[in-house]
Amino acid sequence: MKRIFSLCLTNTAKMNIERSFTFEELEIDPKEIIATLGYTEDSFFEPFPTYLAQAFECCKQLNDIKGAYRILKMDEFCSDKKKICVQDLQFNVGRTIRKELNGAENIAFFVCTAGAEISQLADKLLKGEDPVLGYVYDVIGSAIAEAVGDKIQATISLSEQKAGRKITNRYSPGYCHWNVTDQHKLFSLFGGTACGVKLTPSSLMHPVKSISGLIGIGENVEFNDYQCNLCQLENCVYRDKH
Amino acid sequence: MNELLNKLSNCIEFGKINKAAPFPPQMKGEDGADEITRQALDEGVNAQDVLTEGLMPGMERVGVKFRENKVFVPQVLMSAKAMSTAMVHLKPYFDSGAAKQKGTFIIGTVLGDLHDIGKNLVAMMVEGNGYKVIDLGTDVDTEKYLNALNENPGAVVGLSALLTTTMANMERITKEIKAAAPNTLVAVGGAPVNEEFSKKIGADNYSSDPQAIVEFLNTKTA
Repeated sequence: MKRIFSLCLTNTAKMNIERSFTFEELEIDPKEIIATLGYTEDSFFEPFPTYLAQAFECCKQLNDIKGAYRILKMDEFCSDKKKICVQDLQFNVGRTIRKELNGAENIAFFVCTAGAEISQLADKLLKGEDPVLGYVYDVIGSAIAEAVGDKIQATISLSEQKAGRKITNRYSPGYCHWNVTDQHKLFSLFGGTACGVKLTPSSLMHPVKSISGLIGIGENVEFNDYQCNLCQLENCVYRDKH
Repeated sequence: MNELLNKLSNCIEFGKINKAAPFPPQMKGEDGADEITRQALDEGVNAQDVLTEGLMPGMERVGVKFRENKVFVPQVLMSAKAMSTAMVHLKPYFDSGAAKQKGTFIIGTVLGDLHDIGKNLVAMMVEGNGYKVIDLGTDVDTEKYLNALNENPGAVVGLSALLTTTMANMERITKEIKAAAPNTLVAVGGAPVNEEFSKKIGADNYSSDPQAIVEFLNTKTA
């Protein structure tokens, strides 16, 4: 199993931790992909199983799956009920996320990506010769980005546990009223780009199959499952899965 | 109904693209939308009838089944692919005016959002129900919608979003379109949007699923 760790020094001489992942080590469950596509194993009929098998095989060749994080101290004095402050930056995370961060001493910011390869492949197929296969890649790409997020979260949890600290769940710009414009602040903590992920002027990530966000760390924080009832995304694929 | 058109609507409903396509299994080896559309036109069936009595009924049935969770995105994509394969044969008739689409629908995912699966499904479903669709893509701001409107006067505009935070952009874009082109109908959709929000921002329609926007458009063009 290939594992690559690297420590990256930013221009502010603070450490970011970046890791590469193989598709296999993410252990993505085909059943989850089938469910996201709308089916159960029993109702998943040809040609979709063939498409899924083909896509899983192809994903083993992906070599740009990455995750990075950086842990920084939260400035309690500057933070309020809707925002947090880290270094000289204010993140307007909104009331819901801020509440989840109560008790946090440090914040881990993260960027994870399934990479450019699968994002481009999904897009090309969706717009052209095989939209169904493109959609399968699209769904797997999202699953990869989330699985990298799970790995990064688990890594942080393990290392913080040793120091007697706990972590919160992870939260991303664009959800629960945390405006995506804060992405630029988040990415500035990584020197503007992380894991090859860049932002558009309207704060969108490229490659598309990427996630970013934060995790609260502290002795008194709580890990809460996602509160679907607080979110307006009624048709979210993750609704009530957690 | 012409037997060929009946077969054609089944090809669209079940996503049978062409004879070589193995999907759906129960239609393996049979002609698909590609061959049947060609055959119908060669046999002198009116191109307009191919559209309205062959393709559209099939796509409408897919839309209804999708709304009722009887089929899912992959099957809709199969149907849309069958539809677009058939439409290639009809394009010369649209170009010459021998066949007419019901109207024009401009659609895009609003600025600050690049989720496009839902938007694409709507575009496919609307096109499959007889409309010309101008797909502006994702991360679209007002100017792009207005440029498309200038090129397609009278078109209905559809705004899509997934992120809760892009709802503010949806509101601003709706108001800017209404200010620049007051008679333009604006329809909104996407996971964070609802009827109440649609009314609040001055949009003319909220659709919770692709078939609903088709039904809205049909009330405006009938």
